Amino acid sequence: MRIFSLSVKNLVRKPGRTAALALLTAFLALSVFGGSVVVLSLRTGLQSLEARLGADIILVPSEAQSKVSFQNMFLQGTTGAFYMDAAVTGKAMEVPGVEKAAPQTFLASLKADCCSVKIQVIGIDPSRDFTVQPWIARSLTGELGDMDVVVGCRVEAGIGKILRIYEQRCKVIACLEPTGTGLDTAVYCNMDTMKTLLAAAEEKGVSHRISSGDDSVVSAVYIKVKDGYDIGAVNSALTGKLRKVTAVRTRSMITGVSDSLAGISRTVTGMIIAVWVLAFVILLLAYILIVRERSREFAVLRLLGASRSMLGRMALTESAVCGLAGGIAGTGAAAIGVFAFSALIENSLGLPYLMPGTGTVLLLAAGTVLLSAAVSALAGGFSAWRLSRVNPGTALRDGT
Amino acid sequence: MLISALVIAIGSFTFLSPCVHDDGSVGACWWAGRALLGLGCLLAVIAVEALLSARARFGAYLSGAAVSVLGVLTPGTLISLCRMSSMRCRAVTQPAMIILFAAAGLASLAGAWLCARAGKGIK
Repeated sequence: MRIFSLSVKNLVRKPGRTAALALLTAFLALSVFGGSVVVLSLRTGLQSLEARLGADIILVPSEAQSKVSFQNMFLQGTTGAFYMDAAVTGKAMEVPGVEKAAPQTFLASLKADCCSVKIQVIGIDPSRDFTVQPWIARSLTGELGDMDVVVGCRVEAGIGKILRIYEQRCKVIACLEPTGTGLDTAVYCNMDTMKTLLAAAEEKGVSHRISSGDDSVVSAVYIKVKDGYDIGAVNSALTGKLRKVTAVRTRSMITGVSDSLAGISRTVTGMIIAVWVLAFVILLLAYILIVRERSREFAVLRLLGASRSMLGRMALTESAVCGLAGGIAGTGAAAIGVFAFSALIENSLGLPYLMPGTGTVLLLAAGTVLLSAAVSALAGGFSAWRLSRVNPGTALRDGT
Repeated sequence: MLISALVIAIGSFTFLSPCVHDDGSVGACWWAGRALLGLGCLLAVIAVEALLSARARFGAYLSGAAVSVLGVLTPGTLISLCRMSSMRCRAVTQPAMIILFAAAGLASLAGAWLCARAGKGIK
């Protein structure tokens, strides 16, 4: 206890040196905690995307690939609308190996009253849907009635509030759990509501009719392949049977995202390692200089009766306390950055980004702080060892 | 406190400005940006007063803390922002302003505490 209080007093009496050492450790903690949370959030986001897609194949009109990047709609919430004949759903069901086919219709709103940008409205068929419905069921116990909408977690329209889309009053009945994807910014309704909205959009000059003039349209059909069937073969069969329709394998979308994620993970990990090596070397050099600076001080303490182990423990305690303070400060600063600006990070990365749970974050924070203290103590251990071997006579005479 | 105030005042219409509208119309978040500009300027004046006048220092720090609380509450609580959290006003302006005003508030309180300890600016 005496050694601890003496170490703390030593640190307080040299505020400049203490602050510099703590700042260095804070950079270590900041890079580790910040980088780890970002990488973990990306991984959680990818898992969420896999679970959220649910389908094996998605059918979209051929024009969708050029008109708007279909992948961007999922990942970044880009609005887009493209249409094909609603009969595609029935035709898809005729293909051997197709277990379920769930149509969805998209509509990009004009500026909704919630925001100064367009929002994506997605119409689903609750009786056939197997992708969005499980997510809606977590937040909504009743049915999705006419002119009712369910909003993604990023559209902050309170439950019971009215959302005006193309001058149509839609009642918000539930808010979905976060998925970390662009679908968090979408609004979901049933097909009857979507027909009303499409008609309202038509009046505003936003046409959804396809070249045949038919207004019975869908934007995408989500396909679940029966067990035992090869998804690639079913994908080829669908492409062969359906004209002007592109069959996109969800696995290929996820693989693309996964590759981007692996690249970002490698970069972040490389940067963390570089910062750690650099900071550790600087810490080591700083403690070596401190040994020279404090040799007389320790010689006096030796002459006053302090044992070698006592001096060693004191130096070690000082470096550990410094590391602990820096670790807490760095982790705190990183937490403010990554949590306060999570939406900005997600927008910038353009990848699924979902924060890990509180327990994981707290564990990570505790681990980072302990690691910072340990690294600081390790670097300080060298000076502790050197200081414990100081010859009092030589140190007082030569100052080394 | 002065640095935070200047960043708030300048940032509110530059790099920390609320959503940019394509059609020239303004939403609630634009007005929040105007209010933040005003609060940032006020905070800057208070910070200069605290620096220059030893007699008014304690009071200036307390005023700075009060303005900071107002600043923390302005984006989102006192003046509503866009309801989609991916919008610029929610993703950039709000968190940055809350952090800056919180930092200014803490600096003000620390300054007031130091003044109280030294007995300066308190009659």
